[in-house]
Amino acid sequence: MKLRRLARRVLLPALFWLLLWQGAVWYLLWAEELESTALFLPSPLLVGRTLLELMGTQVFWQTALASLGRIFGGLLAGVCLGTLLAVCTSAWGWAELLLAPAVRVIRATPVASFILLVILWAPTGQVPVVVSALMVLPVVWGNVCQGIAQTDPLLLEAARAYRFGRWKRVRLVYIPSVLPYFASGCHTALGLAWKSGVAAEVLCVPRLAIGTQVYYSKIYLETPALFAWTAVVLALSFALEGVLGALLGRLERRGSRAADS
Amino acid sequence: MLRIHELTVSFGEKRVLDSFSLTLPGEGITALAGPSGCGKTTLLRTLAGLERPAGGTFTLPGEAVLLFQEDRLFPWRRTGEQIADVLPRARRQEVGKFLSLVELEGEEDRPIQILSGGMRRRLALARALACEGGVYLLDEPFTGVDKERAGRILERIRALGKPVLLSSHEEGVLALADRVVHLEGPPLRLREL
Repeated sequence: MKLRRLARRVLLPALFWLLLWQGAVWYLLWAEELESTALFLPSPLLVGRTLLELMGTQVFWQTALASLGRIFGGLLAGVCLGTLLAVCTSAWGWAELLLAPAVRVIRATPVASFILLVILWAPTGQVPVVVSALMVLPVVWGNVCQGIAQTDPLLLEAARAYRFGRWKRVRLVYIPSVLPYFASGCHTALGLAWKSGVAAEVLCVPRLAIGTQVYYSKIYLETPALFAWTAVVLALSFALEGVLGALLGRLERRGSRAADS
Repeated sequence: MLRIHELTVSFGEKRVLDSFSLTLPGEGITALAGPSGCGKTTLLRTLAGLERPAGGTFTLPGEAVLLFQEDRLFPWRRTGEQIADVLPRARRQEVGKFLSLVELEGEEDRPIQILSGGMRRRLALARALACEGGVYLLDEPFTGVDKERAGRILERIRALGKPVLLSSHEEGVLALADRVVHLEGPPLRLREL
């Protein structure tokens, strides 16, 4: 049953898009009378072969691990900072007054501007971390703020009436109420962290980074390698999404069960 | 003694309590009877310190514990945890005692989502009774609870030995109270029989 569902939901669509891709390659070969399409649109087979070749080297794994570390670090920093800021801006009016405009500015600023600015301010290796964190921060901040604002006032009044202390109120009322909003924010933030992090790597070219490999592939017109590294980004993103998604999904389900009652 | 002296509570233009006075003995079960919306809930909430009176004073025989008109259970906590949450750490082993009091023994580990409306009401009542206080203010404690069971539970509450002020529409509950105060309003006033 599970295998059939996996085939229907993952393998069939993947096969469809791979065939479409191969079809486009064949069309280019026929219509443009090219000997090879490797420069413009390498075939799936060629990309697969390039990827396998890359995977055979130690540098590939070091590069993938370094990028994963940077982007996960940025994600973690953005999530922690965004949550902390949301708590501050929800708790104190003056913090909202001071910090909310700054977070809104971060949210509205194009990622490219940030990358170029952070390149000037931070060491090269840390630029993707800072950029990922900055992209994640407003998303998590917004969601957590919304979660805090939506906390049931009747439950808060009950907590007060039954003389819960501040920490107990946070643990038993606020945290369970905010969790689904937090989880949903993290889901969105995960994709953003990868996109902005790799973009930052492309622009600041750190020593071991997927973005750096993407950049060199473009410079040296190694299109199959460009595709292969992009596939690595996708695979890592899906893997991280799978691990975090399972955890966050549990939190969201827990929250929606609570909302149903 | 429970003394209420010229208590006034308003919501905007609407005066729900207007110089309301009442004196009751500081023991036993006192039932407040009156039509919906006459101001019973506002009176109990004010005595519990959740509404700020515009005027007047009151004295209670101890710290008040309120059972809200709604269950207000924490959806993410299991049945036993709802009670454990209000108990001090040293009294956590008493969860079973309060569950038995409202006839919910054996339900300790159940998620509250699968409890019936009446069971949830009883759980909310058990939680309020578990909370340390000198006087229980119970707002419609037996909504959705059958008459016989409500009677048994009320007798157990009486045995706890703390003064109780409850509001109810149930004739059976009113009959078991030590005294019944008939009210009407708003603004809340004693109804002459």
